[in-house]
Amino acid sequence: MNKQQLALIKKDVRGITSNKRLFSVLLIIPLFMAVVLPTIFLLTITFTPLESGDLQDLLAILPVDLPNSDLRVALTGALLNKIVPLFFLMIPIMSASVMAASSFVGEKEKRTLETLLYCPLSLKQIYRAKILASFALSMFVSLLSFAAMLIVVEAELWITMRNWFLPAIEWLLIILLVAPALSLIAITLIVRGSAKAQTVEESQQRSVFLILPILMLIVGQFMGVLLLNAWILLGLGAAFAAIAVVLVRTSAGGYTYEKILK
Amino acid sequence: MKAVTADNLSKTYESGKRALDDVSLSLNQGEIFGFLGPNGSGKTTTVKLLNGMLTPSGGECSVFGVNPAVSPETVHGMSGVITEHAQMYDNLTGFQNLTFFASLFGIDAGEAAQRARSLLEQIDLAEAGNRKLATYSTGMRQRLSLARAMIHRPRILFLDEPTSGLDPESARQANGMIRDLARQDGTTVFLCTHQLRYAEEICTYYGLVDSGTLLASGDIESLRAGLSSGLTVTLRTDRPPVGVEHGKLPDGRYSVQVASAEEIPRLVRRIVEAGIKLYHVSAQRPTLEEIYFALIEQKSTGGAA
Repeated sequence: MNKQQLALIKKDVRGITSNKRLFSVLLIIPLFMAVVLPTIFLLTITFTPLESGDLQDLLAILPVDLPNSDLRVALTGALLNKIVPLFFLMIPIMSASVMAASSFVGEKEKRTLETLLYCPLSLKQIYRAKILASFALSMFVSLLSFAAMLIVVEAELWITMRNWFLPAIEWLLIILLVAPALSLIAITLIVRGSAKAQTVEESQQRSVFLILPILMLIVGQFMGVLLLNAWILLGLGAAFAAIAVVLVRTSAGGYTYEKILK
Repeated sequence: MKAVTADNLSKTYESGKRALDDVSLSLNQGEIFGFLGPNGSGKTTTVKLLNGMLTPSGGECSVFGVNPAVSPETVHGMSGVITEHAQMYDNLTGFQNLTFFASLFGIDAGEAAQRARSLLEQIDLAEAGNRKLATYSTGMRQRLSLARAMIHRPRILFLDEPTSGLDPESARQANGMIRDLARQDGTTVFLCTHQLRYAEEICTYYGLVDSGTLLASGDIESLRAGLSSGLTVTLRTDRPPVGVEHGKLPDGRYSVQVASAEEIPRLVRRIVEAGIKLYHVSAQRPTLEEIYFALIEQKSTGGAA
């Protein structure tokens, strides 16, 4: 990565943080997934009577070690380690998509891409820098969301149950493997579509293809069809990472100035 | 070394449209080259070919000895380009835009800021430089584009319709800036325009193009020399001149075509010797516009024959 590419990355990041509409999207989704949703879960568990049928149903699905701990605490841990991580994955997907769409298609839409292409960087260097800018922002937002979630959840747990939450190994896999891989997949999908897409909105819709499987995983969790554990997550993460590597490798190939500017 | 060469350069788009047909050109360093023709005559295509944005379907070209189809980045490092589609960022100020593009060309921050400030001053945007681009008028944007293209002191400027969308006053102003900036740094200029009159004010060398083919190239003298119709002599007399082929102008004057200036004294003598009162004689050399239309006519009649 040379100085020119760094300048391009800085410009791209500033472009999104200075745009109120895009920045609010980057703020609202993490806020909902990492703060509001876990809070709703926690409050539900705290204020639902233990004998209620719903809670018993949930207990039946989730692998909770009943004997050694308070039921509410155990349930909380299971929700935070099995269900919330899947919702959390929307954050990297959405932030990567928003950023990549603005970075690639937005430049085309605003007719600034051609100016960029006249600089002495190769097409590959420009693409690499832009992919990295989207990736860095997506990971930054994800990490920040995780930190925010931890702070809020720990505070709420302490207040309601005088207890702490210890993130399980699943979270480590989510943060270090699945989120980066999904970010890259989302970015490269948008880059691939960017030659054809004419507007940012059109391009962002592509990320729906990534969100759907995640939604199915979430539904699967609640239905008890497929229970998330570290091994499944590791497998999924490895598969996503492999796809991401292939997509990134091939993302800048096959593109010519002529194709991009069409 | 030649600044620009093109050898039998052709481009046919995927759609089958032949945008450029067998164009050969050679341009010396330091010239202000006017590449002139109506919209859709292949000017933009030529600029894109010379910057490697398009790959030629036939022939080849070079910019300072570098083939843009092979190493476009090298050409980009030497050239500054303004086209209608190469805009800048609305969310940045004029100054920020210039320093950002400077950094893309590898200029360090301190020097970039200095260069941006001095260019903003030269294009009368010193004040507006701290405002966001979103507030700029078309004329201000065009001038800022010129500064952007000059930020890395390019050896050659490619300007595709730099005065389109400008009112006559701003267009004249922009042309003056192009000329001054080019002279100051000895930059070669490749100027594409359909506004022949503006081109005549600043260009030193011309290429006249129509529907993808080059009609003629050279300086204004050689273009004139290439035309069969030389000069138009306008006469004010008391009656029609006898013995010479002439046309009558709406204001009562007469016009006579001569091949060269040498024929004018002979023409005058013949009229005076015929006893005609001669009040006024003036000779007009064909303007660029007249040369252009004469060449188009030649091409169409030549094509018929």
